[in-house]
Amino acid sequence: MIGIVISTLLFLVSLGLIFSEKLNRTIVAFAGAVLMVGLGMLFGFYSEAQAIAAIDFNTLGLLLGMMILVALLEPTGVFQYLAVWAGQLSGGKPVRLLVLLGTVTTVLSMFLDNVTTVVLIAPVTILICEILGMSPLPYLMAEALLSDTGGVATLLGDPPNILIASAADFSFTDFLTHSLPIVLVAWLVALLLLRFLFRRELSKPPAHPDAILELEVSEILTDRVTARRVLIVLGAALLVFFFHAVLKISPAFIALSAAAAALLWVRPDPSTILKKIEWSVLVFFVALFVVVGGVQATGALERLVSVLNNFGNVAPVLFGVILIWLVAGISAVVDNVPVTIALIPIIQGLGASGMNIDSLWWALVFGAGFGGNGTIIGSTANIVVANLSERTRTPITSALWNKRGLPVMLATCLVASLLYVIAYPLFR
Amino acid sequence: MIIRDCMKRDVISIPPTITIRDAARVVVERHIGLLPIVDDQGRLIGVVRLNDLLTLELPDFVNFITDVDFVHDFGAVETTRPEPYLLEQQVSTLMQPAIEVEEDCGVVRAYALMLQHKLPDLPVVAKDGRLVGLASHVDIGAAILSNWQYPNSGQP
Repeated sequence: MIGIVISTLLFLVSLGLIFSEKLNRTIVAFAGAVLMVGLGMLFGFYSEAQAIAAIDFNTLGLLLGMMILVALLEPTGVFQYLAVWAGQLSGGKPVRLLVLLGTVTTVLSMFLDNVTTVVLIAPVTILICEILGMSPLPYLMAEALLSDTGGVATLLGDPPNILIASAADFSFTDFLTHSLPIVLVAWLVALLLLRFLFRRELSKPPAHPDAILELEVSEILTDRVTARRVLIVLGAALLVFFFHAVLKISPAFIALSAAAAALLWVRPDPSTILKKIEWSVLVFFVALFVVVGGVQATGALERLVSVLNNFGNVAPVLFGVILIWLVAGISAVVDNVPVTIALIPIIQGLGASGMNIDSLWWALVFGAGFGGNGTIIGSTANIVVANLSERTRTPITSALWNKRGLPVMLATCLVASLLYVIAYPLFR
Repeated sequence: MIIRDCMKRDVISIPPTITIRDAARVVVERHIGLLPIVDDQGRLIGVVRLNDLLTLELPDFVNFITDVDFVHDFGAVETTRPEPYLLEQQVSTLMQPAIEVEEDCGVVRAYALMLQHKLPDLPVVAKDGRLVGLASHVDIGAAILSNWQYPNSGQP
């Protein structure tokens, strides 16, 4: 019993500190993890072996593998190339530019980390808008919103999806059949809504539409050889992802194999590539797994689950919809990764108590994914774009986000809820 | 050799209260790369470099994209001017802390400071902080090189 109290308290304090953003989240989680194991050993509710078992190496492997591939691809200029290509294709017409840049961002964020995607696309967007003589605001906001939205579609798109896929044993194709169709509709609605919300900005034709054609695309792709090699490896990896369930290999194994193959083929200086890996993210995940593992080891979650089971007479479909909005609401104001890591054992507990939880996993996917669009701090992609825009003449403010971003979050959650209800039998 | 022997004594300086537009006019008329800012006692309190003024006109993307070679036409950027209200602000909003040396500073030290801080010119102050001179990197560099013109230069 003392274990339950201590571990729950430590967990809640850690989570509170992470969400308060007064302290760096990785440092909080790291200290929390060490403390959890220490107290666990002292009071006998958690051991080192249990802590190591609590770490989801599948999630870590997949993240690390994809990070290495992106680190190899990033300096080649291929992302900037795509953004400029989209810009040129638009002919400088605002609405077309919004659709094309939005599509490039979405497609990239379906397979790469959302933050990486916007970090690479946003600077080129600012360039395109400035030489055209337009404000980059609508495009930057659209990119953050659409990358978050697009990321929901695939197993690789967003860390919560990776976590959920690993916990629920969902395959790459499960996401394509369950999540992608809903995301396609939600994405279209989001785009139309953005078109409407920014109608004033998008109605002004640019002052210098021709400047964009003077961009020399071939000069952007600074390392064609590396780009080609990494893209071939990435393409092959995606192909294998389609069959990973049949082949009985984990997504992590595929991503790490692809990373190893790309490293062998490109043979970069490993220290420069490894410097680009977001180690703080990986350490944060490990630490949070250990913290949540401690709570789980005490049996605290079973108690919570039995309380939740008292609401068992709620119709499962309603339960799912409530979960979408609840998770979306929380994810709008705090990071969706800790939310997901904390909710996973609870849903697993509900499953162990006999509930059919497949539909709940999908509700978690949609809630955590679309919820981040709600506020300027709702997702890391939003924060990154906002920080970037603060160094420009047209900063994105919190008030602006509430006017133009929040409606997108509400609309996508609404679409997800409606389709979830309509297609509920498919999610069970 | 010390900096006093190679600096210019006729220094153009501005008070912190003039507008950015007026500071820009001084640069245009006098063709200088560094504007020392002095208080009413003539003490150096900061500098504004040509680059600091130009950030108002440069597009934002140059801060984010390291290699802009592929942008063959800056399009609208070439004709975009800073907002008028920005030019009416006091020049002190753009002021940077001064890197200055005293009159008896050695020229090699002075040159090293300029190199490290990427300064076009180096303000020189008296012991009481009053601005007394300004040396460009050509002034200082030439002063150093002039030592080479004697047969036993480099010997102790």
